[in-house]
Amino acid sequence: MPTSVGAAIELARAALDRLRDRGESIEDEWQYVTDLHATWRGRFDGVAAARGEEALDGARAAAITAAIAEADSIVDPHRAIDWLSTYPGVVLLALGDVG
Amino acid sequence: MRFQDAARDGRAVVYAGIQADPLVARAAGLLADASLDQRLLARAAMNGESTDPSTWRAMFPTLFGPVASDPEDEARARSEAILAAALEVATRGEQVRSSLRGAIVEAVVERLLSRRVPAATIHRERRILFDGVPAEIHPYDVTVELPERAEGYDCKWGARGINADVLHQLEAARGHAEAEGARLLVAIVVFDARRSCRVRLARQTAPLGGVRLVTLETLDALGRVKAAAGGALSGAVAGARAGGAS
Repeated sequence: MPTSVGAAIELARAALDRLRDRGESIEDEWQYVTDLHATWRGRFDGVAAARGEEALDGARAAAITAAIAEADSIVDPHRAIDWLSTYPGVVLLALGDVG
Repeated sequence: MRFQDAARDGRAVVYAGIQADPLVARAAGLLADASLDQRLLARAAMNGESTDPSTWRAMFPTLFGPVASDPEDEARARSEAILAAALEVATRGEQVRSSLRGAIVEAVVERLLSRRVPAATIHRERRILFDGVPAEIHPYDVTVELPERAEGYDCKWGARGINADVLHQLEAARGHAEAEGARLLVAIVVFDARRSCRVRLARQTAPLGGVRLVTLETLDALGRVKAAAGGALSGAVAGARAGGAS
């Protein structure tokens, strides 16, 4: 499990990329998926830059690990698109960085 | 400007059955009084694959973890009830799940509006008619019909539901009302993150002048008296678009 905010974001970002890859298979939504991914990835990057060195307690690390596992369990591309807009909020909430 | 019940076609009859599902009222009652964190839990669990409550409790330590309130606390109890309702929705078949989620958002909007206006003035599935203007096919999910002003809401489960047709219809209705000298506030309510809605709106080309955007973060504004003045819901959609997808 990640022990710092930076490590958690790195793992969370990779899962975000995988969600994008699944969502991109819906051709009509390719632009939206691409934009959504870029926006939330930027948000993750911002948190990593600001708080990357910060230590992460066990509960928050477990929360992010669970969110990543859930994201990776989504196989339906339509649901992946829905999850692409939901998952970042879950991660950010666990990190105490909503907004 | 006048209002009319939508036609009771086959789709409407089926959807009325969904709206009448006790799970819709239960979830809406819980979510109307929920915090942003609790609403995010509901959205995530209703969207997710896992139906094991312990997975979701682990994912939301601010609601269920060591930093959360004790199990006897009201907020903790509400979080548990929201999780139970959300997982009940999630375990329905994909199509029913999708319909239930939409109906829940509408019911939440109705409950929040009832804090600000008399319940008798809130209606579901209504069309708004204007003299000399062909009626729109799609009814408004929720309307507020007061003698001096009206409000029309289109409700969406996610940002992906925002599309040009909806925005055109809302903005056209507002424009027609204005041309008649009537007051009509129109808004799209999305049970999703504002940031995601902005992404969706950033590439819409529909005219958005007076359409307002209400998101997961600003739902409670629907029930505040200040919103009736027209400027407090959460800003016009056009403003969200101008803000870009950042």
